[in-house]
Amino acid sequence: MDELKTKAAYVASEDEDGYVPPQITQFIVVKFGEEQYGIDIKYVDNIVRMQHITRVPKVSNYIKGVINLRGEVVPVMSVRLKMDLEDDVETKATRIIILKLEQHCNIGILVDEVKEVVNLEENQIERVSYETKDDKSNFIYGIGKYDGGLISLLDLNSVTLDKEALS
Amino acid sequence: MDVSQYLEIFIDETKEHLQSLNTQILNLEQDSENTDTINEIFRAAHSLKGMAGTMGYKRMQNLTHDMENVFSEVRTGNIKVKANMIDILFQCLDALEEYLDNIQSTADEGSNDNEPLIKALNQILSGEVESEEVAEEKVAEVPKSTGRKVHRKEDGKWEAIILSESERTVIGKALEQGKKVYGLTVYIQESCILKAARAFLVFKAMESLGEIIVSSPSAQEIEDEHFETDFSIFVLSDSSLDVVIEAAQSVSEIEKVAGGEWDASSGQTAAANETVKEEVTPASVAKEAEEKRAAARENGPVAVTETVQDNPALAPAVHEIREVREEAQDAPVAAPPKNDKKPAVNKPVVNRTVRVDIEKLDSLMNLVSELIIAKNSLVSISASGSSDASSSSAFNEQIEYLESVTTNLHESVMKVRMVPIESVVQKFPRMIRDLQKKLGKKMELYMSGEETELDRTVVDEIGDPLMHLLRNAADHGLESAELRKERGKPATGSIHLDAYQDGNNVIIEVSDDGGGINVIGVKERAIDRGVITPDQAENMSDKDIVNLLFLPSFSTAEKVTDVSGRGVGLDVVKSKIEALSGEVDVKTKYGEGSTWTIRLPLTLAIIQALMVVVGDEKYAISLGSIETIENITGEDIKYVQAKEVINLRGAVIPLIRLDDMLDIPKEQRNDDNLVVVIVRKGDKQAGLVVDELIGQQEIVIKSLGKYINKCKFISGATILGDGEVALILDANAMF
Repeated sequence: MDELKTKAAYVASEDEDGYVPPQITQFIVVKFGEEQYGIDIKYVDNIVRMQHITRVPKVSNYIKGVINLRGEVVPVMSVRLKMDLEDDVETKATRIIILKLEQHCNIGILVDEVKEVVNLEENQIERVSYETKDDKSNFIYGIGKYDGGLISLLDLNSVTLDKEALS
Repeated sequence: MDVSQYLEIFIDETKEHLQSLNTQILNLEQDSENTDTINEIFRAAHSLKGMAGTMGYKRMQNLTHDMENVFSEVRTGNIKVKANMIDILFQCLDALEEYLDNIQSTADEGSNDNEPLIKALNQILSGEVESEEVAEEKVAEVPKSTGRKVHRKEDGKWEAIILSESERTVIGKALEQGKKVYGLTVYIQESCILKAARAFLVFKAMESLGEIIVSSPSAQEIEDEHFETDFSIFVLSDSSLDVVIEAAQSVSEIEKVAGGEWDASSGQTAAANETVKEEVTPASVAKEAEEKRAAARENGPVAVTETVQDNPALAPAVHEIREVREEAQDAPVAAPPKNDKKPAVNKPVVNRTVRVDIEKLDSLMNLVSELIIAKNSLVSISASGSSDASSSSAFNEQIEYLESVTTNLHESVMKVRMVPIESVVQKFPRMIRDLQKKLGKKMELYMSGEETELDRTVVDEIGDPLMHLLRNAADHGLESAELRKERGKPATGSIHLDAYQDGNNVIIEVSDDGGGINVIGVKERAIDRGVITPDQAENMSDKDIVNLLFLPSFSTAEKVTDVSGRGVGLDVVKSKIEALSGEVDVKTKYGEGSTWTIRLPLTLAIIQALMVVVGDEKYAISLGSIETIENITGEDIKYVQAKEVINLRGAVIPLIRLDDMLDIPKEQRNDDNLVVVIVRKGDKQAGLVVDELIGQQEIVIKSLGKYINKCKFISGATILGDGEVALILDANAMF
């Protein structure tokens, strides 16, 4: 983590020198099943191993429950259930990514596996429009092309948005 | 002089004085002859003035000064307390509170001079004087009553001194003996640090020439430095006016002395004598004094002696002058010029503080030392390293000791945070009085249990909800006088505010003997507004309908007044109280009045809880809401309206299956032996069926966060010893 942060800081400092490099964004690549997703690293607070999740009754089905993160109670949600995929199966590779979003307190999301960190330049990212009525694509704001593969870039605000709570 | 370090104390004490003024003036309104009350008011006003002056809040000081004048006249019996005077005084208190608010947020009093109030106060003074005092004194009083601004320009302030009867006789006798009476006003330099000391020297000088009959402000006040830069005295002396003025003038740091002879025949000083020593302009005097002081600094005692040599009568004062000079010499250097003393506007807001009884702190200290002892014992046990039975039992003993110490520590810390609700409810009698005038209804507020203690954070927050409820009671609750008469009630409506402790809760009740809530009216209004459908309304109990009042934007007041009725009251009350993890409830009987009950938890953050197991999950239930724990068999379960109940010692208690309610998966139920936790909310009870009891535990309450707030049965979470999260059941939500 620390290494990533210094790297991010390094990238940022270059911007200040007046030389404008191609806009580089760092993403953590995670997997849900076979599909690769990217999470903008600036929203990531922490990545923790799977631990016991205390179920909370009477909440949306994709809220898995709460965990104890160094004395703080942090809710954990399942992106799979939110995207109407099959329920998570806990494996050795399962991780909880703790996100720090402006409008919420910390929230954890379950992922099948954390693969790597990639740097994507602006021209490697293809924005998607919301024309498609498919619900799933609403959670994605773009697709990154990297190393011959495709990475769906998660729009974390809409992923963590609790529609039911708002209505 | 830097006074910012006293700001906190100043704010605290000013609040106290204002509160006491509020209370006492209310008393005064009831009983205008009570001398104790009047004295108390005078003292508070006087201290306020002194404090504001010390802190350099001139406007505040001016206002309090004029208030004090009025009180002082009341005290001497020259003015009778009247209704409009009380109104003006209350307005003054409001203005003072405004100053205080400004000071609290910006460390500056603001720029509102409150001229109309000062004028009104002066009118009280002059108005009364005209009607009750003899014409002679009226003349003397006039300059005083036309406002402070005028004083500033005048030299002869001493003319404003009012002589009492006894003083007049003294003067009369002295005049017979051929002595002369002079009035003097002494102006001390703005930059003077030790005004009281200078004044004392002037007094000393005067006493060597004659006798001081009266001074304004009084000698005591001058000694306490409760005056600005000038004071006035009447002196009896054989010497001539010039000698007297010269004597006063010779004291260093005196800007100028104005004086005149008092003419016995007219009761006034001859106009001709009002000549201040012409050549003595303020500037030149200041310069002269400055030079004298500089000389004194350079030449030491000799110079001082020289200065006074012109006037042998002053010799006894030389010693004092020397002393004062030495002090004065240091002071101007250390202190910045007075004009620069205005505090910076962007000063940080003053911190909130709690006043703590020293005993509570002592007990805290004791507990902490016990904690250290317990820790040391544990260290020594672990250091001994042996794992035999004796050390293990010693270990357990220490753990138990540690447990009792931490429990006590928790209690003590909580106690430190507890403050009586008095500080909040004190302001209500005043509010009711104002409402009474505004609404034109007669009402009386009865309060009890002001000493009930609550957590400081709760006390701070509870003020607004209570105010809403009281205003509601006054505005909507109490009927108009005619209607009350019709209903056979006393003309004066009564509102009760009662606080008391009930187990782990504090109950605050606001009740009135007014009209009560018109349930049918509420129902119609709710249907009108589309809050409920007529069908729904059919099936709703009266209580459900009354609870509709707590919905946002639901106001039943026929007309919107500026007291209440904008529909932002009760829902705010409810959400505020719920934010404090309390609840609010209402009981009403149409035509007879209503009672609003606020129930608040005594403590926040840490509670005693019972840990239970349901299915595979652990839950905590606050011990405060648990009545008993019962073991029952399947045969004890009866059915009422297809719902499970048990008959427990004559009480029919509904059973709640926690596994159903919390959607806990479970293979099969064993109904032969059930563990039921009986919880209570007010006078209702319910039995929670659990699988297993773990035991009692002290738990720290953690919020579930904003993200999960939909589950109303869960009031929070806690972290167990093994790091797992357990949810806290809100037993109150089960009903």
